[in-house]
Amino acid sequence: MKILVPFKSVLDPNEATAAGAAVSTPKSVINPFDEIAIEEALRVRERGEATEIVGVTIGPPAVDEQIRVALAMGVDRAIRIDEFRALDPYAVARILRAVVEKEAPHVVIMGKQAVDDDSNQVGQMLAGLLGWPQATFVSKIEFLGNKTRARCTRETDAGLEIVEVDLPAILTTDLRLNEPRYVSLPGLMRARRKPIEVLTCDQLGTSVRPLTTVLSVARPPRRSAGTRVESVEELITKLKQEAKVI
Amino acid sequence: MDFAWSDQQRELLDAVGRFASQQLKYNVIDNDRDGVFNHDAWEKCGSFGIQGLPVPTQYGGLGMDPLTTVAALERLGYACKDNGLLFSINAHLWTAVTPLIYNGSEAQKKKYLPGLSNGMLIGGNAMSEPNSGSDAFSLSTTAIKKGSTYILNGSKIFVTNGPIADLLVVFATVDKMRGPDGITAFLVEKNSPGMNAARKLEKMGLRTSPMAEVFFENCEVPEENLLGKEGGGAFLFTRSMTWERGCILASAVGSMQRLLETCIRYANERKQGGQSIGKYQLVASKIVDMKVRVESSRHMLYHYGWLSGHRKAVYLEAAMTKLHIADCWVKCCEDAIQIHGGYGYMTEYEVERELRDAIASKLYSGTSEIQRNIVASMLGL
Repeated sequence: MKILVPFKSVLDPNEATAAGAAVSTPKSVINPFDEIAIEEALRVRERGEATEIVGVTIGPPAVDEQIRVALAMGVDRAIRIDEFRALDPYAVARILRAVVEKEAPHVVIMGKQAVDDDSNQVGQMLAGLLGWPQATFVSKIEFLGNKTRARCTRETDAGLEIVEVDLPAILTTDLRLNEPRYVSLPGLMRARRKPIEVLTCDQLGTSVRPLTTVLSVARPPRRSAGTRVESVEELITKLKQEAKVI
Repeated sequence: MDFAWSDQQRELLDAVGRFASQQLKYNVIDNDRDGVFNHDAWEKCGSFGIQGLPVPTQYGGLGMDPLTTVAALERLGYACKDNGLLFSINAHLWTAVTPLIYNGSEAQKKKYLPGLSNGMLIGGNAMSEPNSGSDAFSLSTTAIKKGSTYILNGSKIFVTNGPIADLLVVFATVDKMRGPDGITAFLVEKNSPGMNAARKLEKMGLRTSPMAEVFFENCEVPEENLLGKEGGGAFLFTRSMTWERGCILASAVGSMQRLLETCIRYANERKQGGQSIGKYQLVASKIVDMKVRVESSRHMLYHYGWLSGHRKAVYLEAAMTKLHIADCWVKCCEDAIQIHGGYGYMTEYEVERELRDAIASKLYSGTSEIQRNIVASMLGL
């Protein structure tokens, strides 16, 4: 079984600016949900159920750093779609469809969303474009029927939902699926010998013209300071008459 | 001299920082109070590759040059507050792994280095004795050859990793009359009959790094566990001590950098007399001194690493590096406590522990006085 894992490079959500540090440049990391997808693919292979794991990401040469992290974790080879422009989820899904058609994986495992734009659309759109079944927000994956089906546990507001999808399928990962391994130094050394294939959208025969455009990005309005009340009675009156919440 | 990192070095150093900040964040306060060694953290460091940094790739290591290795250990010291764990790792690397790399037979390297690199085995050395410390070559533990074995008798003190070590490099004399030329190194495995590493020593700092007094009573060591040549122990010890002096305080540079950042944060947050205490020149001046100490220490460390990697003589540089960083580390810790005032003296602020840990750096691997003697002798005094 061949697994394709698309992943996105995002600004490190855990990066704190260190006081006194000489340089503080923003660091990029693999989107944490995608890291969970990579980890799951590795575990499937370690169980002997997969033979090859291919990683794919979209971005300029700078994202090679995150590609090497994926390779160091254990991904066998990687593809980078050389693209500088800002993409919307639909453009990403179309690029990934072209990669899926080229690579013909048995399953695509990817993060349910990226932590930078929180769109949560690419997996679903990719399934739609390919006409493949999908299981989203999965917290457990089992392959059944000689790897023709996947039984997935989904985390929903109502509880755990168990679904079965025929393969090939798109599976998107939730936080509790696993805890990704850390990259070891021997892994990093091995990663240097693993191939990174660079392709352009033209070579894939796909366009990336976005359907949506971000018009502006703004911080939420600042909250104004609260007022002090003298007594519980005054608080109740204000809650009733001014805030009108009780 | 070029300390600009290549992409590959930067990638490796970033990975060390990321690993340590994610995997080695645990409660050191309790472990320090109770004198607990964190086996789990040791194993994580091993599988991550720390213990394999300087080990040649054919024996399961990463084959890193000295500069990259000390820079990696510096990153580890920055992100990991468990100075005891780092001390155990350093003792393992510079007193057991390095002598094996340089003096081990092919069979010995194949047998021990892979396990010592991946965290499965813990190493250490046994040199100091109750009556021989700075005058190390006056040791009195004896090794008498009997057939194909050596019989060891004597006692060793301040054996870092003693209670947990799987393999100790033990120094003994085959003939006391031969002085330094009689000193011989042996690889002694845990549970060897006649070896007892039971007496654990309580100490002021580095309490998470176990230390023992080790006794040898007719301890039989097979001939094939002779490390290097009979009588070659003094040379072997001097070489591994040079490595140790140059590298052992790499993590201290990281620790100093962390202390500096902690102090800057505190000096900006803490308000007294209507302003942050960092605005008072007496506080700012201390922080400036800390910054200069960190930078000078780092430069000496990298300079040593670069020279060592280019196969230059580093006997003098190793001694100066050790002397300078140890002084700087202790002074930084004192300043950090002073800047934190009463809070700095409290255990929960984790500054006082740094001082207790740092003070040992003026004692181990040759006291600061011994380092000064070495420097003086190299200056023709």
